[in-house]
Amino acid sequence: MTNELHIVVCAGIAPDPLQTLEPVTGATGPGLKNEMMLPAILDPWAASALFEAANLASRFPGSKVWLVSLGPKAKLQQVMMTVAQKAIFELVPIDAPIGGFADAHATAGALADAIAALPGLDREKLLIFGGWESATRGAGVTLQLVGERLGITDQFQGVDQIDLHDDGSFEVLERVEGGKHQVSRCIGAPAVLGWATGNLAEPRNNPQTGMANMRTIMPALQKAKLATLTANGLHYSSVSLPKQQRTTRVVKDRSPDEIAAEIVAWIGAN
Amino acid sequence: MSIQSETGAELQVERQTMEVDIACVGFGPAMGGFLTTLTRAWNENPAETAFESKVSPGIPLQVLCYERADDIASGVSGVVTRGAAIRQSFPDLNLAEIPMAAAITSERLLYLLDPIGASRRSRLCHIKDAVLRKLGPFLGVRDDAFHMPWTPGFLHKNGGLVMSMGQFNQWVGSQIMASGLVQIWPGTPVTRPLFAGGAVTGIRLADQGVDKQGCPGEDFMAGMDVRAQLTVVGDGPYGAIGQALNEKLGMPQGNAKHEWALGMKMLIELPPENLADSDRPSPLKPGTVWHTFGYPEPEIFGFLYVHPDRLVSVGIFVPSWMSDPSRTAYRYLQHYIQHPALWKYLKDGTLRSWGAKSLDESGRRGEPFLTGDGFARIGEGSGSTNILTNSGVDEAWTTGTQLADAVLELLRARKPFTHENLSATYESRRRASAIEAAAREAEHARDGFQSGMVRGLMGMAIAGLSGGRFSLNANIPPPYKQIHHAKAYFAEDIKAKDAAALALMDGRPLHDALLTARGWPEIPFDGRLLISQQDALLMGGKVQALPGFADHVVFRNAGLCIDCEDKTCIAMCSGQAITLSADLMPVFEREKCVHCGACVWNCSQSADGERGNIEFRAGAGGLHSAEN
Amino acid sequence: MVESILVLTHADENGMLSQASLEGVTAGKDLSVGLGAPLVIGVVAVNGSLATSLGFGNARVLCVADEALAQSRYASDAAACEALCRAAHASIVIVAAGSRFTRVAAGVAFRLGGLIDTHITSINVSASGEGRSIEVTRSFYRQRIEAVLSRDARPWFLLIDAGTHAAFTGDGPVGEVEDVPVELPSLRTQVLGLRAPQQNALTIRPEAKLLLVAGAGWTKKQADGQTHAAEAGDLILGFLRNTGASLGSSKSLVDQGGDGGPVLPFLTHMNQIGQTGSMPRHAKGLSTCCHGEEPHVVGWRFIADRRAISLDPNCGWARGKADVVYVADAFKVMAKVNEKLAAANEANSAVAAPDRDFQRSQEVDAAVLV
Repeated sequence: MTNELHIVVCAGIAPDPLQTLEPVTGATGPGLKNEMMLPAILDPWAASALFEAANLASRFPGSKVWLVSLGPKAKLQQVMMTVAQKAIFELVPIDAPIGGFADAHATAGALADAIAALPGLDREKLLIFGGWESATRGAGVTLQLVGERLGITDQFQGVDQIDLHDDGSFEVLERVEGGKHQVSRCIGAPAVLGWATGNLAEPRNNPQTGMANMRTIMPALQKAKLATLTANGLHYSSVSLPKQQRTTRVVKDRSPDEIAAEIVAWIGAN
Repeated sequence: MSIQSETGAELQVERQTMEVDIACVGFGPAMGGFLTTLTRAWNENPAETAFESKVSPGIPLQVLCYERADDIASGVSGVVTRGAAIRQSFPDLNLAEIPMAAAITSERLLYLLDPIGASRRSRLCHIKDAVLRKLGPFLGVRDDAFHMPWTPGFLHKNGGLVMSMGQFNQWVGSQIMASGLVQIWPGTPVTRPLFAGGAVTGIRLADQGVDKQGCPGEDFMAGMDVRAQLTVVGDGPYGAIGQALNEKLGMPQGNAKHEWALGMKMLIELPPENLADSDRPSPLKPGTVWHTFGYPEPEIFGFLYVHPDRLVSVGIFVPSWMSDPSRTAYRYLQHYIQHPALWKYLKDGTLRSWGAKSLDESGRRGEPFLTGDGFARIGEGSGSTNILTNSGVDEAWTTGTQLADAVLELLRARKPFTHENLSATYESRRRASAIEAAAREAEHARDGFQSGMVRGLMGMAIAGLSGGRFSLNANIPPPYKQIHHAKAYFAEDIKAKDAAALALMDGRPLHDALLTARGWPEIPFDGRLLISQQDALLMGGKVQALPGFADHVVFRNAGLCIDCEDKTCIAMCSGQAITLSADLMPVFEREKCVHCGACVWNCSQSADGERGNIEFRAGAGGLHSAEN
Repeated sequence: MVESILVLTHADENGMLSQASLEGVTAGKDLSVGLGAPLVIGVVAVNGSLATSLGFGNARVLCVADEALAQSRYASDAAACEALCRAAHASIVIVAAGSRFTRVAAGVAFRLGGLIDTHITSINVSASGEGRSIEVTRSFYRQRIEAVLSRDARPWFLLIDAGTHAAFTGDGPVGEVEDVPVELPSLRTQVLGLRAPQQNALTIRPEAKLLLVAGAGWTKKQADGQTHAAEAGDLILGFLRNTGASLGSSKSLVDQGGDGGPVLPFLTHMNQIGQTGSMPRHAKGLSTCCHGEEPHVVGWRFIADRRAISLDPNCGWARGKADVVYVADAFKVMAKVNEKLAAANEANSAVAAPDRDFQRSQEVDAAVLV
């Protein structure tokens, strides 16, 4: 079947975006205060990638989705309790320290090794998905590095849409400057796609999906391999909260007309 | 198969069905105790035939737990507990494994005087306060607080723990999930039990992809029917399943859920100098527990628990018997933390988290039918809270372990989960246990509060010191009747409608305007600890509601709401999720709701003489804070 | 460590160096001076002579030119950049962030056995030991934490954020350009073109001076207990028409699309600003009906002059996140603002007729984008 896909989604976990973050420097370098206590979510961009992958896989029978995720086992388990109801996938967990301060090259190495070792993975059907950014390190380089390690040179970043054709080729919409999309046509897998938000709504929680996923997720978590991430000569001189406090003038008790006049003058001023 | 819409109309839709052995509703300490005990026994011998699924022979028992909150760590409570049952379940408990947990090191009871003069104290209270102030130097009154020289034994939590409920739940849940035997699904509200005659045959999950009224949208997904041999109900005192069971089955003779309290708390990070000050060593060592009463209003009890790492849980309880219709928890909490006895330590602290939750204060008298064909109830919603000792976590945990033992016995005996069998195994264990005996002692301990704070304290003391043999009994009316109508309170003061107008004009919450009108000083916002309630929601509470679910707070009869002069639902809404529209109708915003349940019992109107005019259904979302 | 610097640049659709590339050249020049290190400018273009028509001072200029490089595509761009890097042998490679080179920079670093850091907002040189060392500043956790870091390994690729350096304008006469040969791999991807939203749906205008942010308050129930989404939409679009401003949104507003609530149909997640959205650059920003919570305000990092209209005097904007906060009903204020702007525009058009400067400037804005 031409369009049978093997989609590997690389997805990190991130602190729930509503949490207050504060940096601390510990014995092993910088981290977040109470990092293990913070509720975690699947990184929002990677989540878009996962939902797009699941959607594609459901449209092309015979396709399969793997979710390769790197993080502390306990946190991965917690995140899976939310994610596993939303899409069918096979989890490939890599037990590693949490945090955005880990080196992207080391992360990419661990991910690429895990992907290369996936049993039954067919490179001719392989699409590597992930987020083009993340809510943690946000370097936007991990996927490219994974792709290079696996020798994949058709790569797209800021992807909002993929349209698969019958001959296995596909069109991709990538975000470029000015709110526009670049449209590219690739003759087929393998390829790397770093997703922006895509166009799909977050799937609803489906208990049967969750049940099906959990049968493989829990054993996979129990067998997760511990990965050590090297620092690659990365040194942090400081980590701090940016200072952005302004002196705010609060204007109260003025009529809409007066306020409007002031705003119009402000817009017109240089 | 139907959708319950706001009007009660039912819409026919197709639903998926899933068969499981045990469906559990709500993941709190009771369910933690149940699933911990069950999985531990199961893990000892997974091949034991008792643990083979009855609904899908050949595979292991199918046990699923559904939790409404977006994360199992989103439980709201800074907890002090004796922890005896928890320690029994975890004999090698290492508190260092549970963030924010500490062993209790000291306990104190403080009577707080009113340093501002705005609190509504009775004449007797004023006299008592004057005496204390006069004799202060000799009695140990300092910082406007009388440090009671003696704390009654029933209030002591000797050997107990200070914890964060969220962190404890996360710790317990992780271990249960790691067993691989049980699945826990957060973010999954359960709307109602499935009945077949009088038997419960499972649960229905909430519809997704619906609008605020529950009407299907483009991406509608009908909530699944999970059919179960046994439904374990641990969804708290105002959970949808518990409420539906109470409506269907009624309550046992003489029992009713009439007494409530709203617990609202802040988690505060203390400034470092408090602990570093060697000249004045802070008493706030991890494990310190303070109970307070007398301020900001005589009816409001308060607490301060100290966690490791300079974290402090500080909060108040606003009870249903506080008859004032404008009882206003957030503003009161802000005045509470500024009391000199607390502020000397909390000043310059930072708000880390914030939350609120209604507590079932009916205790043993709020106990519903614990078992029936196909279901069993555990935890707070099953009336397990001890209202004399103010403890519920350990008791809830115990009921969970008792049910697990019963379920194990029935599984091994290959007996079905009938009312008779559950009663003989679970109810009998519960009746024979120490928590039952203690709950009976406490049964009337709080009745005195119906006649005021002083009689209430006397009643607690009498019940506590006599082991429940004596008490000041009273007939407790439904919550809506406990609210004295606004006219009585505002006749000399300010009219509710004027305050409402002020609130609308100024864009501020109604209760804020009311308290200011009564003489409480404005809160001097400092951007860290003293912040607006909206900021607490954004910075400390972290509230979120997933899209695609129906509103879970519904006003049954709009006419009653419009004519209501009290609007207590607005004053007590912890998340400011209920506001006032220009036509005087309360308006609910799901995105701000912290699921505290206060609106359930803070409604002064009733169409049927028992229930308030507000319906609290199953809903998604709520607080996103694991530190509560 | 003896450093040498390469700046990777590329031509735009007009054949000249792109805006981002010119910013990269400035960063390279500054660093070259700071370190006293030699500078190489590497150019990727279809037509080398056009792209290198600026003088680069004493920098060495390398160019890879090929028809295939007309397209912004990973395989060809990575090969071209790799060729430049191998020819330059630089220890520091500077790339300015634009969609084209952001796509390939990490891959090129990998091929060179190097390492990369991205979203760099400043490069600092300090004296250390015998020589000078480099530290870079970048943000983590979506601008919520700032870090200063360095690396031992070389080559070290630095992808600098757009707008952090001024665009290079030329330095002396045009020098010699060395052609660098490149062997392109077989190209499996073809760029078909750019797709922009319909003109009337165009709300994101990166070149605009002003950003208007719409918060969820626009679609909430107002004092009369009703929602007024249609009116809100008219006010917002009217403001955009009158000012040519770019439109941003809070997450909670764009998320409402899936909630069955009233939605503003012209808003998409592309408009979302903040922690999980974009961080645009505009001289001024006006926030309306938005609470100014931290996850949203991090997206305002590059908005210099900030004002907000909010009903809540204690909103985040009032607590040090905006320069001015108007405590007022945005529906009423924006209606008046639009009235005044429309009147002013009409007056201007009467005076300036037939040039209609204002209208033309709007058309230019639109033309840049479509």
